[in-house]
Amino acid sequence: MLALSIAARFLRSSLGQTILIIAGIGVGIAVQIFVGSLITSLQADLVDSTVGSSPHITLLPDDDSRLSASLVETALEQPEVTAAIPVRRTSGLFVDADESFPLTVTGGAPDEIDAVYGLAERIVSGEFSLDDGQILVGAGFADDTGLTAGDDIALVLPDGREGDFTVAGVFDLGAAAANDRLAFTDAGSVGDALGLSEDEYSAIEIQVDDVFASTEVAGRLDAEGVTVVDWQAENQELLSGLAAQSGSSLMIQAFVLVAVALGIASTLAISAVQKTRQIGILKAMGMTDAAAGRIFLLQALILGVTGVAIGILLGYFLIWGFSFAPVDFSVRPSFTSILVSAAIGVAVALASSVIPSRSTSKLDPIEVIQGG
Amino acid sequence: MAEVLAAEEISKTYGEGSSATQALASVSFGIEAGEFASLVGQSGSGKSTLLNLLGLLDSPTRGRVLVGEEDTTRLNRRQRARLRGDTIGFVFQFHHLLPEFSVAENMQMPLRISGEKVGDAERERVREILSMLGLTGLEDKNANQLSGGQKQRVAVGRALMKGPAIVLADEPTGNLDTSNTEAVYRLFREINEEQGTGFLIVTHDREVAEMTDRILEVRDGELVQDVRNGHI
Repeated sequence: MLALSIAARFLRSSLGQTILIIAGIGVGIAVQIFVGSLITSLQADLVDSTVGSSPHITLLPDDDSRLSASLVETALEQPEVTAAIPVRRTSGLFVDADESFPLTVTGGAPDEIDAVYGLAERIVSGEFSLDDGQILVGAGFADDTGLTAGDDIALVLPDGREGDFTVAGVFDLGAAAANDRLAFTDAGSVGDALGLSEDEYSAIEIQVDDVFASTEVAGRLDAEGVTVVDWQAENQELLSGLAAQSGSSLMIQAFVLVAVALGIASTLAISAVQKTRQIGILKAMGMTDAAAGRIFLLQALILGVTGVAIGILLGYFLIWGFSFAPVDFSVRPSFTSILVSAAIGVAVALASSVIPSRSTSKLDPIEVIQGG
Repeated sequence: MAEVLAAEEISKTYGEGSSATQALASVSFGIEAGEFASLVGQSGSGKSTLLNLLGLLDSPTRGRVLVGEEDTTRLNRRQRARLRGDTIGFVFQFHHLLPEFSVAENMQMPLRISGEKVGDAERERVREILSMLGLTGLEDKNANQLSGGQKQRVAVGRALMKGPAIVLADEPTGNLDTSNTEAVYRLFREINEEQGTGFLIVTHDREVAEMTDRILEVRDGELVQDVRNGHI
């Protein structure tokens, strides 16, 4: 195709200019991809550390009554629900000389507890075991009290009695509040403390596949006598923080795109002026207005596609480089942001060629050939 | 002989109302196949306007331009561009070669513009024309690497590539020295005699015009002389 080969020659004839603008597009797209991936990963990491190892939805009895395990079946019928476990919760106080440390003790079957809290993978000392009388405590609590795996521990329960446990292991859930306050034990120990019978529980804890679907699922689980607690309703500040972060990142990306668009548009405008003579003679030799206009459209396409390809490579390089940064989360390339950046990059390039393409297609060959 | 290009009562007015300027008033003549003619006139006489109209680069305000049998009045820009590319070769005062392309590529440009394939036969034609122009072996050189005279001869070669019925040349030697000027006119004459290509050469130089078989003179937008056989 003649217009394409002319476009390519025009770009090659001003090689320095072409390389600069491709580099400009590449850097712009790389920033897009990096910022997009960074924000996505950062938010995923924040959400994961907030609710990754805790229930997304909790069903509680309205009053002091108890919940039946049959609610677990209802919850598991929802397609988004990945885990639903019946637990028994109570509070306990560990008293050590002058200091006392409050704990929320959750009792349940080990495999079920693991399904929601992922405790087996988060044990930092001792082992993941919840046999009769065993307890798992958080790393913060263990640090504060000096307790280690194998130590015996007595907790003052709400009814004033003392419960005796053995620390089986210490976990790290990645959040200070959880590490200071949570403890897990077997279902029977808490059941005894609360005076619960075999089929009675104090809460049903649920996890869903997409954490942001929790509100919708929670709505479906709402029933009489049950209070549904949704993590999103409990974390409004975090969510509005995430929304603000997304908004500002979109704004940065939009400005980068505007800069890229201006760069391409000015390069093409200069090129259109530089090549006026060539376009004029091509038209005098019979090239149609549309074909002449296509030359600049194709130049924009070549610049856009090459720039975007280089931008994607550079974006991956930035993400790889970031893996050496001293932060405790990693940036994963977000394919959505790569696709969106690539598509927008090419579209912006094409849009930037509209003015030079139009002025080229309108150019009258007489103006050029008479100018000598 | 059949006319390859004809002007019928063509006028050209630029601007409107009180600022209207008439550049050409009711000019009529025809160029026959294989004719070797010149168009003379002072600067501003309207000869370039006439050439633009004949070359379908512009449309007359009144009258019509015929290319062969075809009336070009009703053709749109696109159709005129096609017809121009297919039947008329141009040589301008400036060579207007594309510096981004080689000599051969520049010469093949008219073929590629009309969508024709460039194969062995076309490449051979480039070599033939270059040899006729005394430029053998230069096909792969970049257009920018040639001297002024060589560039203008390549521009002539480009105009001949599609075997046009007529070549319109607008002051084709205006930028050349005397020896190159003579060489180019000799070349025109050779091509005219060997290939039967018609020529209409615009010039302000009467000596140059004397070398052609027919002299048309434009003065103040009117055709004032049309003399054949080189004798005024």
